[in-house]
Amino acid sequence: MIETIHASRCPRCETVVAPPAAYCPRHPVAMAPISVPGVGEIVTFTTLHSPPVGFRSPLHIAIVELEGGARFVCHGAETRGLKIGARVAIEAVDRVYYFSYLGALDRARLFWRRAGHAGERVNAIARSVAKRVWKGRERAER
Amino acid sequence: MHDVFIAGAGMTRIGRRSERLQDLMAEASHAALAMAGIDAPELIVVASMNPEEFVGDGNFASSVATHMGFAEVPAFRVETATSSGAAAFYAGFAQVAGGLHRRVLVVGGEKMTHLPTPRVSELIGRSIDPYERSYGATMPALAGLVTRALLGRHGVGLREISQVSVKNHAHALRNPYAHFQQAVTLEEVTESRIVADPLRLLHCCPISDGAAAVVVTAERAEVRVAGIGQGTDTLAVRHRGSLTSFLATRAAAHAAFAMAGFGPERIHFVELHDAFAPFELIALEDIGLVEPGKAGRATLDGDTALDGRLPVNPSGGLKARGHPLAATGVAQIVECVWQLTGRAEGRQVEGRVALTHSIGGLATNNWVTILEAS
Repeated sequence: MIETIHASRCPRCETVVAPPAAYCPRHPVAMAPISVPGVGEIVTFTTLHSPPVGFRSPLHIAIVELEGGARFVCHGAETRGLKIGARVAIEAVDRVYYFSYLGALDRARLFWRRAGHAGERVNAIARSVAKRVWKGRERAER
Repeated sequence: MHDVFIAGAGMTRIGRRSERLQDLMAEASHAALAMAGIDAPELIVVASMNPEEFVGDGNFASSVATHMGFAEVPAFRVETATSSGAAAFYAGFAQVAGGLHRRVLVVGGEKMTHLPTPRVSELIGRSIDPYERSYGATMPALAGLVTRALLGRHGVGLREISQVSVKNHAHALRNPYAHFQQAVTLEEVTESRIVADPLRLLHCCPISDGAAAVVVTAERAEVRVAGIGQGTDTLAVRHRGSLTSFLATRAAAHAAFAMAGFGPERIHFVELHDAFAPFELIALEDIGLVEPGKAGRATLDGDTALDGRLPVNPSGGLKARGHPLAATGVAQIVECVWQLTGRAEGRQVEGRVALTHSIGGLATNNWVTILEAS
């Protein structure tokens, strides 16, 4: 499932920023709220070995250019083998955004999941529904 | 607009200092006033990025003025994060250029080494966009993101970036005011511990204490301010189209050259904001001092060394002279004044036109100043 990222667009210059902002950073006009899909390309990334208080080392940080236009700051579980321009998906875990690197193995898995037997597809749908219900309940509890 | 001159320049030794910040700022100020031969200024412009948190003192312009014996001289403070010193210089320049005052003391200083490094890092990091900070972004982290993007470009590798540190340490070896009096080799730089991959420890400036001051006058003096310009960009780094060039530097340089009435070809030597070594390469190209894509090559070829075609950071730069935040913008001007007037013993370079470049935040509020021997 692809996450939906809340963003905003400048009516004058079409710049999209995420998370949404009241005013365009480059124009004194109110931005319009939009949402963009949580997939994009790695613009740059780093690994911090002395992260600030409240974060664990090593801390992976990346800037991702989302398909909807906004550049997005997020965490990652790993940056080894990661390249600028790599396709990634954004996932929210506990309201913190992570990129997940779509490596060769992940791409293959995605492909097989799509091309797999009907039974497996049903399984996948069931898992996805279960996950959604679980998330919904979590949200309700909050 | 009146012509503006610099009649005096002074600074403290940069490094780990035990004195109070006000003492350091008084030391630099009295040295600058002595060189100018002036007893008292008409106005004092004070720069300190965050004395409230670093040393626990507020109302800081009055605190500094009173401490150095100028309680009755009007004083105010200017702040643009790490480029506060350059901004204060601009404020002093504008006062004299506009004819409001004839003799203005500009003094910048910061004291940080008494605090633990994570605390200093956190305080400096408050100049970063809050959302990016919530993801753990510190200044080195953002610089790491910039460096990674830079390494993807043709003509810049780890070697080119590391050579900046090697060169600036070599320059500082000849500067008695510098934080580091110690040479480093290319291997030492490339093998130092990783701070924010691909940035390593010896690509980063140290945490330093110190102060610097200049006296700006309407009366003719040895150095004239030819041009000064400010450039700005979004607080959030993610809102920028390019990470390997700083709009704030390009805009500041454009404004400064427009005021000076000439271009980068007239510049003989420069003091650039190398808080992180790759920033020196970016600034060289953004200001137009070398052709796009050639800064790495120029550095490896020794063009930017003391005896090169265009000496860059003869003082040792932020990397090796040290970076006491609000002192830095003024310290760069002090170095250029000393160079232009033949006072830079041991590291003297030839030249009549100098340029300084100061970065505020992660290039959100930058300044370029052009000085000329008059």
